[in-house]
Amino acid sequence: MTVDHAKPAAVGADRPAVKRTPAPKVRRRSDRDGKWWTPWLFLAPALILFVYFKFIPMITAVTMSFQDVQPYLGNQWVGGENYSTVLGDEAFHSAIWHTVVIAVGQTVGSMVIGLALALLMEGQSKRLKFLRSAAFLPVVVPIAVVAELWRIMYHPTEDGMLNSILGMVGLGPSGFINDPDTSMISVIITGIWRGAPYDMMIFLAGLAGIDRGLYEAATVDGASRWRKILHVTLPGLRSVFSILFVLAAIRGLRVFTEVFLLTNGGPNGSTEVAMTLIYKLGLEQNRLGVGAAGAVLLFLATLVLTLFVQVLRRRRDA
Amino acid sequence: MRKSRWIGVGLTVSALVLSGCSAGPAGTNVAQDTKAPLELWTRTTPGGAGEQATKRLAEAFEKATGFKVQVTAIFDDFETKLAQRAAQRDLPDIVMNDVTQVGTLKSQGLVREVEPGKIKHASELTEQALKSNQTPDGKLYGLPYSAQASALLIRKDWREKLGKAVPQSWAELADLAKAFTTGDPDGNGKNDTAGLTATLSTKRGYASWYFSNFLWAAGGDFITETGGGKYKPSMSTPESVAAVQYFRDLGCKDNVIQPGSVTMPTPATNETFEAGKAGMYVVGPYLLPRFDKSLGKDKYEVVPMPAGAKNSDVLAEGLSIYMMAGSPNQAGQDAFGDFAISTEGQKIGMEGESAFIVQLPVNKNVDITQVRSDPRWKTYAEIYAKSGHYAPSIPNWTPVRQDTADTVSALVADCKLDTKAELSKLDTKLTATLQQQGISAS
Repeated sequence: MTVDHAKPAAVGADRPAVKRTPAPKVRRRSDRDGKWWTPWLFLAPALILFVYFKFIPMITAVTMSFQDVQPYLGNQWVGGENYSTVLGDEAFHSAIWHTVVIAVGQTVGSMVIGLALALLMEGQSKRLKFLRSAAFLPVVVPIAVVAELWRIMYHPTEDGMLNSILGMVGLGPSGFINDPDTSMISVIITGIWRGAPYDMMIFLAGLAGIDRGLYEAATVDGASRWRKILHVTLPGLRSVFSILFVLAAIRGLRVFTEVFLLTNGGPNGSTEVAMTLIYKLGLEQNRLGVGAAGAVLLFLATLVLTLFVQVLRRRRDA
Repeated sequence: MRKSRWIGVGLTVSALVLSGCSAGPAGTNVAQDTKAPLELWTRTTPGGAGEQATKRLAEAFEKATGFKVQVTAIFDDFETKLAQRAAQRDLPDIVMNDVTQVGTLKSQGLVREVEPGKIKHASELTEQALKSNQTPDGKLYGLPYSAQASALLIRKDWREKLGKAVPQSWAELADLAKAFTTGDPDGNGKNDTAGLTATLSTKRGYASWYFSNFLWAAGGDFITETGGGKYKPSMSTPESVAAVQYFRDLGCKDNVIQPGSVTMPTPATNETFEAGKAGMYVVGPYLLPRFDKSLGKDKYEVVPMPAGAKNSDVLAEGLSIYMMAGSPNQAGQDAFGDFAISTEGQKIGMEGESAFIVQLPVNKNVDITQVRSDPRWKTYAEIYAKSGHYAPSIPNWTPVRQDTADTVSALVADCKLDTKAELSKLDTKLTATLQQQGISAS
């Protein structure tokens, strides 16, 4: 395609401007900006992949949520029936509640511990570099391995790893993931163990961006270490907090693998989260329509949450 | 304007792709080609003995008939992967999987009906195995090729050390389990053994699977047929409650079930038994080769489950060959099914000490004692014939199994729960499930 071919479109888009300016000027402008389709060419590989592997499946899922899906018998349009099935299901209500509890627990836990780790490991020393890498390890370990590790650590008898530690201080033995009273906190702890180092890395990056001069000024003013954290560090990390909060909240709402591998929602449904329930309904029971309805609802919840945080941020910044 | 044109193109492309995916009616009228290779999926560990045996069977079949077969072994999330292939409308031609899948596959239209007229050896199938593949309307949607039932595995060395007899009743079973838990049967001076190992995770509904060995023998049932293909839930009948109570007491009162059972799927449970952490295990014959190797053949014995209040029914299971819908080579599908259930196919499937895929033969003309000299196989064959109890073939057994697994697992996990109240709640859930499938009596 030559520039001339592209021109009619340009004229159509920007008619009054073209009328007033001579032709050479238009050509010069398009030379400077490159051809109109250049950015699209660069975006194309990603776009094509996204369309086929993300957006089409998403649209299909929305369609499926209104259907009784039977690929070989023909899908039946059932309207909102799948949604009323999901929304009327008590199991879904408690799954949503559990998801929120896990999301909040893991988000807050990871952020607090991540920040503590970051404050401890801030600095330039070589040794710190090694420590930081070591602390980051849980993030790169595959989640299946993490779950199996924690299952061994959570062994519910006195000779189990964590129970033998509890035994030393005169507690336990706890059932951990095998007891409905402690299963939720056990799953949350596993998530925090994995999520905190990730948060730590982002906090470290944020800490590096805080003006050293502020600390010096605070020291001159006679501020204690705690005051410096409270009045210099935390405000300086505000934008990091909001990014982490969105990331962690989305991660929390979609929690699946560790729950699936550790408890599969049990015992007595005490750790059933939205994703494990959707998996059971859709893929194990072959009720794809109902599962899709649950997935769409979860998507909407995530979307609303993200938008809510964005609005909140913008208002505070303004 | 430019933007909107591109969006338009994108939407058209998407629409084309979508309609391409969902065009056409049920995939029954596919152009036939007897040369098309058959894609076969079997639910077994990739690279394991089961895969080798399936390949051996496939090779013998290729040699005998000239059809081509490609064997794929899948173990994890088998049903999920199948559902994904179904959603793409590109199913494998043959699937070898649990018999309890028949209802789901049929009601989803994923399998085609087996025409007994086209399967020469169908008349040689045992009544019991054949029935397990029939839907309530008497039609056949899958061919059985292997059968099995549960037996009780006991650590013989432990039992003899403690001077106990093989349990003949449920009371004696509980008693032996208590002795195994508290009597230090492995002599290491530590209180680290359990009486019974049980798979009580809710994953795939394992807890329900395991518990059926206790439920039916006590006269209870998950759901009861009321006639005309209608069912009513029966987990809160006095018999079922008694069965649950007995099983629950093993975990809650006697503390003889291995710790952590409620989150353990089968691999972890098997390890508990072979690591010498538990003295008894109710399980099918497919684990014998594994335990012979890891534990030692002389260390444990295989006996029938002691009778419950009603009889000694245990869970019977089977494996079936499903002829999937939309296959371009139906003649090949039929031929494979026919070959696998023939005397020859069954014998190939039973070959070897560990790499076999047929547990108990489904062909009347095959005598297990002639193929396998080990008397434990005869024990299993007798249990299957006398006390084998299959789950009913309703349109979708999976939700029933999941719901019951949730409750059974919960009752063992949380000893504070009220048995009767939980089982009544379960019955309400089961009613909803049956209604959703259109087979509820009420």
